[in-house]
Amino acid sequence: MKIAVCIKQVPAYSEGNMDEKTGLLIRTGLESIVNIYDLAALETALRIKEQRESCIDVYTMGPESAGQAIMESYALGADRGFLICDRAFAGADVLATSYTLMQAIQSQGTYDLILCGQQTTDGDTGLVSGALAKWLGLPGYGGVKKLDITGNENLRIAQDMGVQVLHWEIKGPCLIAVDRDIYTPRMPSLKLRMKARRKEITTITLQDLEDQDSRHYGLKGSATRVKKIFPPERTRKREVQQPEAKAAAGLILETVMNDQEAR
Amino acid sequence: MDKQLIYPMAEKYQEYLIDESKFSGTADSISFPESEAEISMILKEMKRSDTPITIQGGKTGIVGGAVPLEGHIMNLREMNRMKEFQRQDAANGLITVEAGMSLAKLQEVIARETRKNPLIWPPSPTEGTASIGGILAAAAKGTGAFHYGDTRQYVQAIRLIDGRGKVQYLDRWVQADSYLLDQILGGEGIYGVITEATLILVPDYEEKWGISFFFKELSQTDSFVQGLLAADEECQNNIIAAEYFDKNTIDQIEARKSNMAKIKEIPDVEDGNKHMVYVEIGGSEEEIERTAAILMELAEESDSDAESAWAVSGETEIQKMHAFRHAAAETANLLIEEARRTEPRITKLGTDIPQKHKTLKEAVELYQSDLNSEGIDFCMFGHCRDMHLHVNILPKTYEEYQKGKEMIGVWIKTVQHEEGKIGAEHGIGKLKKKWRDYILSEEEQQQMLELKEVMNPDGIWNKANIFGDE
Repeated sequence: MKIAVCIKQVPAYSEGNMDEKTGLLIRTGLESIVNIYDLAALETALRIKEQRESCIDVYTMGPESAGQAIMESYALGADRGFLICDRAFAGADVLATSYTLMQAIQSQGTYDLILCGQQTTDGDTGLVSGALAKWLGLPGYGGVKKLDITGNENLRIAQDMGVQVLHWEIKGPCLIAVDRDIYTPRMPSLKLRMKARRKEITTITLQDLEDQDSRHYGLKGSATRVKKIFPPERTRKREVQQPEAKAAAGLILETVMNDQEAR
Repeated sequence: MDKQLIYPMAEKYQEYLIDESKFSGTADSISFPESEAEISMILKEMKRSDTPITIQGGKTGIVGGAVPLEGHIMNLREMNRMKEFQRQDAANGLITVEAGMSLAKLQEVIARETRKNPLIWPPSPTEGTASIGGILAAAAKGTGAFHYGDTRQYVQAIRLIDGRGKVQYLDRWVQADSYLLDQILGGEGIYGVITEATLILVPDYEEKWGISFFFKELSQTDSFVQGLLAADEECQNNIIAAEYFDKNTIDQIEARKSNMAKIKEIPDVEDGNKHMVYVEIGGSEEEIERTAAILMELAEESDSDAESAWAVSGETEIQKMHAFRHAAAETANLLIEEARRTEPRITKLGTDIPQKHKTLKEAVELYQSDLNSEGIDFCMFGHCRDMHLHVNILPKTYEEYQKGKEMIGVWIKTVQHEEGKIGAEHGIGKLKKKWRDYILSEEEQQQMLELKEVMNPDGIWNKANIFGDE
């Protein structure tokens, strides 16, 4: 089975700083990690590989430093890594990001399964995987929280639709966006981390893509602009009480009962 | 006083009568000063009524040092500001903070101030809520102690209000101050209250890895640790910490980690593994690679599977492993808390004895055999490089508690006989006074009492710590 996993390097924490001119997050100096949802996607791929003979390719889009995310994936067990890196790709929104990912993935042939995280912890739109499925012309399943890889060639998935959970038996090629709770990501292995240092990362630039029109990528190819980033306003008043133990127990009980009634 | 500074004790202040040692006391009043001036006012008030004051920071100590036995509690949680940050050059810096600032906040502030060329304050107690004042009062070192050395060398200056009400500023630049400073640090607040400290920062490593090795047998773990201790100097210099966890500790953490936000995403240790050694290494890329290769070879020679060894890198992931290490102590404390619900006389019963001349196997087997013969539950974790293991005895009854206490006494006496002196890192506080003569030499005690007589003649500050009846 040939599996592509899309991962993104995100800031380990955010100070909410934004470049006023470009509307882009300022990431300089902040520690970067692999998006936790994408680690769940990679873990899903690794679990499939444990059951069925597979090759896992990891794709990430970003500056050269994003290669670190691929090294991390190697330490977890990914086979090949592709860094989609070109100045033309900078500042991309959902539309341009998903288009670039599609072009990059197609430049390496076809896959039986594309795995993505449901969302990222920085942009947080949760839209890239759906848009990527559309560009690739593949069926896309978002919010997948369970995957059964035993049994026949097909995959059985549970897709969380908010009010209901849909159970599907699907076959590739397709795209699955997984919930972060689908699997607990494994810890990176020492042996694989040591080997990762000697593994190659393939860089994909604009020149490697079928569509080389720079107007379709990055800021130029984006349909949206970020106007402002700000922490949500805390509007809900929180009552602080410091009652004696018995009164506190009564208050807690009352709150729980009220809450249940409200539901 | 216009502003109310002193509050009579009430039920809402109950949590200030106990600390992580699970030893609890009593007090008549409490205060939360916001400045040195307020401390002075409170002190004056307490001196007037001859009321002893117990100083509190994060209440994370495990020898009852912050637990009041009577009088007034002065909690410094409101004094948590950064006063000054001085970047001297790329590799050096100083930071001045109030004593109530937590270690976690200090690390956050340092990271923010030194983002381009990261600096760190080396002392690394695993509890992030520990206050800087508390760390200095106990001269606590943490997991990096063997590598970075004594906490005192990372303190440039302190401000302290002594028992006479005198505000002292002691700076290491002045030789006489330097001597005094070293005496006061680790003095458990018996000379006065530290109000602020100027801390010495050093460069952080270019890269850090946290590697967890797993073993099925104690003999395999022992062989790995012996190999680690015998590794060449270059390798030793790149090892920041080496921490051992026994099976009981791992099981206890795993049973409770779903409620621990920082570590709930760490997967379970594979079945069959009974021992874990966490090694943190730091250095340049080449140094890291060399050290990791040596460790990997050692692990394989000791029948540990390097493929299943965890190797994290980057501050966020390393912090997760620190949280895992801290969970070892925290879960043991939780079990003590549970036992106290049926038997309130139980307090934390942990050892703090380095056994430098014993191998890991010898040390672990000694503790195991004594505890197993009495059928008392325990868990064991701690520093491998100076064999400073923390055996946490987990009694269910008062009888088991008493037996455990006796056992610790026997171990302390034996180690003192074999090794000369016990270098306890948790301090003496109120719970280890019985063992004071094994921890401090006669000369050290004499020096402390003499200084106490000068700086805190009425014993108003932390009267019951280190000296006095048990």
